[in-house]
Amino acid sequence: MMTNTAIKVSNLTHTVTSNTGDLTILKGINMEIKEGESVAIVGSSGSGKSTLLGLLAGLDVNTSGDISLYEHAFSSLDEEKRALIRGQYVGFIFQSFHLLPSLQAIENVMLPAELKGDKDARKKAEVLLDKVGLSHRLTHYPNQLSGGEQQRVAIARAFASSPKILFADEPTGNLDEENGKIIIELLFDLNQSQGTTLVMVTHDNQLAKQCSRQLIMSAGQLAEKTL
Amino acid sequence: MSFALRLMLRDIRSGDILTLVMALIISVSTVTSIGLFIDRLQLSFEQESANLLAADRLIRSDGVMPVEWQKKAQNLSLKQAERTSFTTMMFAGDTLQLTQMSAVTDSYPLKGAYLVDDTLFGTGKNSTEPPKPGQVWLSSRLASLLNIAIGDQVEVGEARFVVTKYLVRDPGSSASSFSISPRAVMNIADLAATQVIIPGSRVRYSLLLAGDRAALNDYEDWITPQLNDGQRWQTPTQKGNRIGDTIGKAESFLLLAGTLAVVMSGVAMALASARFVKRHLMQVAILKTLGATPRLLMGIFFVQLFILFIVGALVGLAAGWGIQGIISSLLSGLMSTTLPEPSISRLWLGLATGFVSMLAFCLPLMLRLINISPLSVLQPSAKIEQNTLLIYCVGFAGMYGLMCLYTQGFLLPSIMTLAIAGIGIVVAGLGWLAFRLGRSLTSGATSGWQIGLASLYRRLIPNLFQLLIFTLIIMLGLILVGVKSSLVADWQQQLPDDAPNHYLFNVQVDQIDQIDKETDQLGVIRSDWYPMVRGRVISENGKSIQELYPEGTDEPDLYERELNLTWASTLGKGNTLTSGDFTADGLSIEQRVAEEANLSIGDKLTINIGGNIVTLPITSVRTVDWGSMQPNFFLILPKEALQDYPANFVSSLFIADDNAQPFYKAMSQFPTVSILNVGDILKQIQTIIGQLSQAIQLVLLCILSAGALVLLASVRSTLEERLEEGALLRVLGARKTLVQQALFVEFGALGLFSGLIAAAGAEACLYGLQVFVFKSPASWHPLLWGLGPLIGICVICAIGIFASRTVLKVPPMLLLRDL
Repeated sequence: MMTNTAIKVSNLTHTVTSNTGDLTILKGINMEIKEGESVAIVGSSGSGKSTLLGLLAGLDVNTSGDISLYEHAFSSLDEEKRALIRGQYVGFIFQSFHLLPSLQAIENVMLPAELKGDKDARKKAEVLLDKVGLSHRLTHYPNQLSGGEQQRVAIARAFASSPKILFADEPTGNLDEENGKIIIELLFDLNQSQGTTLVMVTHDNQLAKQCSRQLIMSAGQLAEKTL
Repeated sequence: MSFALRLMLRDIRSGDILTLVMALIISVSTVTSIGLFIDRLQLSFEQESANLLAADRLIRSDGVMPVEWQKKAQNLSLKQAERTSFTTMMFAGDTLQLTQMSAVTDSYPLKGAYLVDDTLFGTGKNSTEPPKPGQVWLSSRLASLLNIAIGDQVEVGEARFVVTKYLVRDPGSSASSFSISPRAVMNIADLAATQVIIPGSRVRYSLLLAGDRAALNDYEDWITPQLNDGQRWQTPTQKGNRIGDTIGKAESFLLLAGTLAVVMSGVAMALASARFVKRHLMQVAILKTLGATPRLLMGIFFVQLFILFIVGALVGLAAGWGIQGIISSLLSGLMSTTLPEPSISRLWLGLATGFVSMLAFCLPLMLRLINISPLSVLQPSAKIEQNTLLIYCVGFAGMYGLMCLYTQGFLLPSIMTLAIAGIGIVVAGLGWLAFRLGRSLTSGATSGWQIGLASLYRRLIPNLFQLLIFTLIIMLGLILVGVKSSLVADWQQQLPDDAPNHYLFNVQVDQIDQIDKETDQLGVIRSDWYPMVRGRVISENGKSIQELYPEGTDEPDLYERELNLTWASTLGKGNTLTSGDFTADGLSIEQRVAEEANLSIGDKLTINIGGNIVTLPITSVRTVDWGSMQPNFFLILPKEALQDYPANFVSSLFIADDNAQPFYKAMSQFPTVSILNVGDILKQIQTIIGQLSQAIQLVLLCILSAGALVLLASVRSTLEERLEEGALLRVLGARKTLVQQALFVEFGALGLFSGLIAAAGAEACLYGLQVFVFKSPASWHPLLWGLGPLIGICVICAIGIFASRTVLKVPPMLLLRDL
């Protein structure tokens, strides 16, 4: 069976302008991620992992080269169209959870479906929160939840739009070991059951090892880690 | 739409939406309440002044007016009355007396009321109806001169009348020129029967109008081009008369106050919007990662802003209406008249303020919010790419537009905008220097003082911005306090409680001692006696006035008519020498008439005094305070030039109400002396001034409260960062007093700097306002220099410490989690 390409990157270079002059963060990166794969991007701090993740998800525009998500070339799209593609294909999990503080757990999870105009947003959110074991915390606000609970809400929110690709930026970075384990389990379970492609930036070697591929980022360049 | 609404309803819990709505409500309600209140005051002043005019508008004519004028008024559904005034002899048996008679229609007065009494020299009761045909009302003075009482008959020309009342006050008397003869009033229906008005008689005809403001304006537009030299259109608050000027100044003040309220509202909106945007940056970035497109976000914010506008404007209008009601009812106990109802048509101003505020302060920031990069979720330092200068420009333009809308002009808004911009630059420069100095004095130190001063420099830009806002608000408050104090002082000075309210004319030199004795016995305060000789200027530097100003050209006041001349060896009360030598052997001229006739020291005037010609050089120029109610003269001559002519003497007196009756009785032994009572008009002016003073104090209080709210909002806007720092310090083991001290020093320093700069700014602005807007002499305001820093330190510290009290009470962990 032919597997579809979820993400394709060719000759990606990204330069930012700072006070001290231009700084090239990513240099000539080429890669391809197939649908259903789980990929960990590892590397030291400042190696460009998060920048790459942001570009892959269409959060920023690269300086040169091409990135395409399911054959939609990000480089040639404006923010309006990139947002539409994100809404259609992408889910996010962040290191600092990024829940909206003024919304309850259930409302946070409802957001992606509501943005799409889904009438069943609430029901779906309830199911997802149940799956992450928070059915008893539906109406709690983020500041009433522990770090682990907040990240579980974030995972439920990420899956609420039934994304084809899930981007995770250090998902366990702000959690203790025990909570980290719960999150990882949840993440991989949901990933598998929903058939999602997972692209994850992490420092955690154990976590990286659970992914089907590991890419090492070093000084703006990418290398495949061979096991 | 429903998603936007849902999102907004959920957002209400965070308090940010409420802050924004509150700012909008404050904007709309402040402007609405002040606008409505000013409108009511203006209507009230107009009504008060209309009582003095006996009508809303009046046409005065030396000849009979065309019938079309009345027809036009009828077509416009205006109420009308007529008054015909003339001087005539009144006979009572063998006694006769020259009388100032008014013949009026049954509809007279249209505004105000007669004050009449059944007892001689009584204080009077209101009557809104004039005498019936066959009746006449006489002033007590006239009745005592004619030696008659109520029920007696008098003759005017060929007609006989029965005296039915003593006239205490004629509501329209102050509008006509002061007349020295005692007054009487009759019904116009009897006028023809008297046969006293014949061709060539000196008669003044008045057509009085009252009614709808729009109809009156239409009438004015129609009549003005038709008026000739002998005809005049009069309004109650005409410029040039004292009441008009007083009200004009009060209106300028209220307008200024309202404009400052608009500025404060703008600041409040800008602060609340900035806070909203700051706290929503991450939210928008997250929504973007979740697939929200800029267009969708724009739609969401438009809907939210629209709902906010509707809610804020409606609540603001209602609150504004309520607040002005409260101000008015507070004032009603103090004011002698009830205020007219506010007009609903004035509400548009509040609505427009709300709309422009949203457009200028909220929308650009919201659009900026939409442009945030979704990358911020990964890199919180990601900046919003938009021209900040542009946002300030839009905000500034909005504020300027609002002020123009409010003042219906460009001068005041332009002055204010330039002043604010100037202050912005000064604040930025001085603030930077002061903060920098604070930092360098405290490097490497760890006491509360040092931490406080150091953080001023560390958060340089937000602190400079906050300094500017504090300075602006304090300055605006100080300006209002300064203007109010000098305005009220100016008014009180203009018309002290014992300002003369009667003039005595036609006093012969041998009567002076007797009158002095009588007035001394009554304890009446009297000015000096001034001799008065009539004379006319006939030539200027040898050129005749006819030659200088041929027929048809506009003559200066000095040459237009016969003048009252006097001599004096010393400058009288209310006179100030501006140049020359008063004691020199020449003429002393009043400055304004000298300027009008283009005369200066050294010019020679030739005066015809009873057929004798006198030529004298001008040797001094003086200003005269015409408001002092002292006898004042355009020209004062050397004694030698006038002493050979028969002179009448004039003096002014203050007669207290309870002294009036004995005074009039005493004066009845001097039938040839004329008494002019200006007390009623003075009382009216004093009432209006009193009301104005109270009104502007209340408006001031209202604006200062709004200012305090804006200060509060401003402190809150940077509170989070301060709380975060305080919490961190506590986590690191700092004692509560250290954090408290650091906060105290930071707020105190901000308050002190802003108070000082504000005092300087207010002093400069007050100078400009006094000189250019209120046209009064500039003065120094030491009070502001104490008040500014004091308010700055106390209010800002109090608000700051109160708002940050949680940082001192709550466990640091909880704080850090909340932030």
